[in-house]
Amino acid sequence: MSSTLRRQQNKSYYVEPTKEDLFRLAFALPEGEEALGEVHAVLTLQGKQEAFSGKLYLSTSFLTFTSLDRRSCRLTLPLATVRRVEKLAPGQDGTIAGAFALSLTLFHGLRIVVQLNSLRPTNDAFCANLRTRLKASLPMMKALKPFSHTFFSEWYLSPDRELDGEAAAAKKQQDEKVGELISFDDEKGKGKEEEQREFTTEGDTGHGYHGGLGLIFKFPGDPRKLREKSKMKLWKEYLEQHGRNLTLIRYPSFTRLVLVGLPNRLRGEMWELTCGSMFLRLHNPGVYARLLKENAGRRSASTDDIEKDLHRSLPEYAAYQDKVGIDTMRRVLTAYSWSNPALGYCQAMNLITASFLIYMSEEQCFWCLTVLCDRLLPGYYSPSMYGTVLDQRVFEHLVQRCLPSIHDHFAEADVQLSVASLPWFLSLYISSLPMVFAFRIIDCFFLMGPKVLFQVGLAILKVNGPELLQTTDDGAFINVLKRYFATLGESAHPNSSDSRTRQITKFQELFVVAFREFAIITDETIASERKRFRAEVVISIETFAKRSAIRNLKDTGRLDKAQLGLAYDHFQLASLRSKEQARRPSAADALSPKPPNSTGASPRTPSSASFGGGSGPKDEEKVEERIDRKAFGRFLGDIASWARDEKLVKNGFHEHIDRQPVDHELVDRIFVYWDQSLSGALSFQDIVTGLDAVLFNDLMSNLAWLFNVHDSNHDGYLTKDEVLQVSESLLFIFRNEPGDRYLGSVSNLIQNLFEYAESTKPEENPPRSPSLGRSPDPSTGRPRANSIVSDNPHRPYLALATFRMCILADPLLEDFFESDLTNSWRLEVLIAEEKPKQPGAGGAVGGWWGGIVNAVMTDENKERLNRLADEVGKRLDIQTIEHRPSIGKLDAAAAAIEPQARDSLFSTSNRPPKQPASPEIPNPLSAAAMRMPAYPPTSNPWADASSSGSSSPNLGRHEIDVQAAASQALHRQQFVIDDVAEGDDEDYAGGEGDAELMNQVERMLVEDEAVTGKAAQSGQDLLKQDGQSLL
Amino acid sequence: MSAPAAAPAEAPARPVQVKLVLLGESAVGKSSVVLRFCQNDFQANKEPTIGAAFLTQRCRLEDKVIKFEIWDTAGQERFRSLSPMYYRNAQAAVVVYDVTKSASLEQAKTWVKELQRQANPNIVIALAGNKVDLVRPSSDSDEPSTPTSATSDDDEADDATATPEDDAAEGGDEEGAVAASESRRQVSREEAEEYAKECGLLFFETSAKTGEGVVEVFTEIAKKIPLDHILASTRGPGGAAGRGAGRGGPAAGGASVNLNEEESAKKDACAC
Ligand SMILES: Nc1nc2c(ncn2[C@@H]2O[C@H](COP(=O)(O)OP(=O)(O)O)[C@@H](O)[C@H]2O)c(=O)[nH]1
Ligand SMILES: [Mg+2]
Repeated sequence: MSSTLRRQQNKSYYVEPTKEDLFRLAFALPEGEEALGEVHAVLTLQGKQEAFSGKLYLSTSFLTFTSLDRRSCRLTLPLATVRRVEKLAPGQDGTIAGAFALSLTLFHGLRIVVQLNSLRPTNDAFCANLRTRLKASLPMMKALKPFSHTFFSEWYLSPDRELDGEAAAAKKQQDEKVGELISFDDEKGKGKEEEQREFTTEGDTGHGYHGGLGLIFKFPGDPRKLREKSKMKLWKEYLEQHGRNLTLIRYPSFTRLVLVGLPNRLRGEMWELTCGSMFLRLHNPGVYARLLKENAGRRSASTDDIEKDLHRSLPEYAAYQDKVGIDTMRRVLTAYSWSNPALGYCQAMNLITASFLIYMSEEQCFWCLTVLCDRLLPGYYSPSMYGTVLDQRVFEHLVQRCLPSIHDHFAEADVQLSVASLPWFLSLYISSLPMVFAFRIIDCFFLMGPKVLFQVGLAILKVNGPELLQTTDDGAFINVLKRYFATLGESAHPNSSDSRTRQITKFQELFVVAFREFAIITDETIASERKRFRAEVVISIETFAKRSAIRNLKDTGRLDKAQLGLAYDHFQLASLRSKEQARRPSAADALSPKPPNSTGASPRTPSSASFGGGSGPKDEEKVEERIDRKAFGRFLGDIASWARDEKLVKNGFHEHIDRQPVDHELVDRIFVYWDQSLSGALSFQDIVTGLDAVLFNDLMSNLAWLFNVHDSNHDGYLTKDEVLQVSESLLFIFRNEPGDRYLGSVSNLIQNLFEYAESTKPEENPPRSPSLGRSPDPSTGRPRANSIVSDNPHRPYLALATFRMCILADPLLEDFFESDLTNSWRLEVLIAEEKPKQPGAGGAVGGWWGGIVNAVMTDENKERLNRLADEVGKRLDIQTIEHRPSIGKLDAAAAAIEPQARDSLFSTSNRPPKQPASPEIPNPLSAAAMRMPAYPPTSNPWADASSSGSSSPNLGRHEIDVQAAASQALHRQQFVIDDVAEGDDEDYAGGEGDAELMNQVERMLVEDEAVTGKAAQSGQDLLKQDGQSLL
Repeated sequence: MSAPAAAPAEAPARPVQVKLVLLGESAVGKSSVVLRFCQNDFQANKEPTIGAAFLTQRCRLEDKVIKFEIWDTAGQERFRSLSPMYYRNAQAAVVVYDVTKSASLEQAKTWVKELQRQANPNIVIALAGNKVDLVRPSSDSDEPSTPTSATSDDDEADDATATPEDDAAEGGDEEGAVAASESRRQVSREEAEEYAKECGLLFFETSAKTGEGVVEVFTEIAKKIPLDHILASTRGPGGAAGRGAGRGGPAAGGASVNLNEEESAKKDACAC
């Protein structure tokens, strides 16, 4: 397998995040935020004792802070919410004398003080930057007030809420307009909410804040059991002291409050806060509505799939037995599919969306889904589901490390972990656990990230350990867990004598185990584990895809297994490269804050290698990968020597071969000829059928093939135009051959073709029987006057027999059709790399360059290195570029025999006698002829190549060199892969013995001690609170 | 129901575990077929399948008790690469398509190909064209609700399958009604049956909604599986190994079941 393909494949699954990406990810910042500076700082909140030491960061439109332990205190603050900044005098507000401190007054009146502890110049620069960015955020401030009205917390803490009923009702009327996207009606809401009076206070939903379907259809779970009232009280307190929605500062108690379960009415808002989708919504006003509007009425494979699932997404929840709920769900899912067509829709997104919508408005849900799919769980829902498969592999390995006895038992009994755990991860536990419990896991997932999914999964296995060790097959394994999930709300210790212990539910126990015992699972653990298995998973997915593609071919022609495999590789490489190119421009304009999706293609530019033909949904068409015309050009360039230009670039340092596919009408024609379904894109089957018709050809079949490629209407005749085009195609194929012999042959051929065609051309009404008529010739149907007919360029003119005769008259062309053409198709893996270094190629400069090349060249940077060398070479004026012939039949000496052939082409005597009469026919030769390179025999770098290998003309010495380079590169590549797989994770678990592994785990524990302690602490708090104080 | 009277009393009927997987395009009715088989119920809107759902069902065939372990997979195309996880070690597979969607048969064919190359070599595969109620004369599809009766589920299911099947077989007498509902049909019975025969598959047309053909699918699969062989291989030597081998051998895979001969067998089928 070509390393190029492997690399391209890897790239299509995973792009290493940049430092900027990681920064944005750490603070849940929108795409396009740039880091602009950081300082050490101590943060205090007015009226609070605690001071947190950490780092303050500035980005384009946010100020962010994290305490040193990265979790006690965190803040992501839109600059637009900063009302006032003051520099504090030393000693003021409790800052150390001589310290540099700022006081920030926020939108909600909160005041925070940050003391900058970096060196003076750093602090000064940071403040200067901050001032600039604050100014730039002024326009956003206007939007802030209306935006803040979309938050439940805003309403909940507002003095309005305390007004008596009548005043509130009046106010309500006025506010009602705001909630346009919240599609619920009040009548219903009133009826259904009675049992929740205590929380809905004013008892309706018309306050303008965004809310979910739960406001109308009730929230799942018993509000008393969920202790909604107490929770709301605690949250009110927290929000009053620590800011709310856009200005909320996370203190340690925040984590604890989330861990005991978010209250229903605040849940949606807290989800969008903790995952960061709130900021996307703030930065992209109107985008959701626009997506819906612009795509109204459109259909796609994704919308069809969505439609199938709408009625089976949480059907037990009242809203989804109702048009209101279904329509809402449809809008969110389709909007996301349009915003990220490369992902579209994947089953499980329906469950997730249905769940989110209970707590969130459509727009909130849309952005939350965007963050989930693009950032939190990348690759989970993509067509390959690469992220899902990878995390299953990671989970399995974590089980092996953390719960070795279960892992060993499963291995022995042949129980497959993923049969249970796949839906856990894919649906955020919604499909496996009762809703109320799944939502509490989601609370933590948004707060603490994907590691939560692993921690909970491990805890489930651990808690059920004894029973799991008894299972003997997948089915029994599933059943143990099913029983467990069904009893999660029951006491974990029903027989305990202590009543408080009895009150601990299995779910609480699960949480404690997850966050205490598996606190060792950190973000870094997950990151490094993913890295470890990435390559392995890509290979397994690709191997499966390849096997299926080959298996599902209806007709494999004469291609053997190896050839089918190579054809598939080329097909895929072309497709991947096109996709990558389609992605690039959209990445370039990423700064303009418009497209909501960060990864996939932008909404209005479907990737060139589209799925399902891209021409709207055809119900019967299976989703199938196809390559378009552009990708086909690359494909052909890879496998047909004449469909690419190979330039030998000598830049004075080293030589490399630059391969570029070349576009020509011939390529168009072959594309159309191979496109059996006329869908404008080729399937793998089309490619295989096409290859079958060229790889095994003899003289006669090659002749017929080229003829048929040019016979657009399949009537067995070429028109005059097509005769010219076939000649042009031949010239195209021969364009890089040294000397003028091919040119001479083709010019003779043209002369002959026209001469013989004139004498053999069919009568005015040609026999129509051979017409296979995909597109009937427009001219044949209509009777025409004789005089017009003879001038009509669309008239049938030249038959295959005549074509054949003319070709066979020329030995050089006969040779070409006999073997050269067939040999010009090669499925071998091409590697566009440099020739093996030629000692002394660049003289003295080559020496140090060669050193660099040896030192830094890797598979990854080869291209860049070549570019660099070319650039340097150009500056030094030592770069030379030489074209490599495609056929390579003629060596320099042979080419020199007829040096005058080229002139003769333009001499009147050699011109086709009848041609000049019709001026509308362009001279096909002029342009092509000008492109013909005329190498002086001695400087032709390829000349030596063909003189030696007479038996197989296409495999000159140079080609052998390329193959050698290829195999070398392959070797090196493998080594590199091994390096990544093992070396980089060495410090983690690369060692051999179990003892070593345990040591490493120990070390991690120590490093994470603070965290572990805290998590354990909060776990206990959780028990206390959940079990007692909240009771 | 009870075993045939002829059944000797000696067998304590240790259940034979049969792992069965359902495959096919999304929304063809896989989960509904399973629900009909296991609970004799039909619900228009049910839980979605993520990855795969797992269910078990005990049945009696002649003197043996069979415990079907059913894996009902998610049908969306992108879940496809995950499916080997579910069909590995399976002794039987039901590949479902929707008779009102021709594309779903094409999809079914790719499943069959995959199973024949990648799955357990002796796997028994049944092809089921579901939703035939949609293409039946109105008398069937107009039935207000699903046929459920508290008295005897088994008999009910059997009757439900038998009646419409006869209609279809004799056909012709109610040309008009047939023509109207048949217009929704995109896959003819003949076409699918022929394909099934070619590939050595059991073939059925089913309706999870009315129950037609559902029990038969599982009955015929049970008959075709080398139960004794499985029994022998799971624990201790079972009886009549020779017979089991004869049924399960690769040669047996070529013979498709003659649907006209199954009437007698039905009475013994699946006393669930
Ligand atoms: N009329 C009719 N509808 C069916 C039948 N079987 C399933 N359906 C419906 O088809 C849809 C998809 O069914 P489901 O079992 O979820 O399909 P799956 O994706 O293959 O599991 C549901 O709306 C079912 O009610 C059937 O036999 N007849
Ligand atoms: Mg299903």
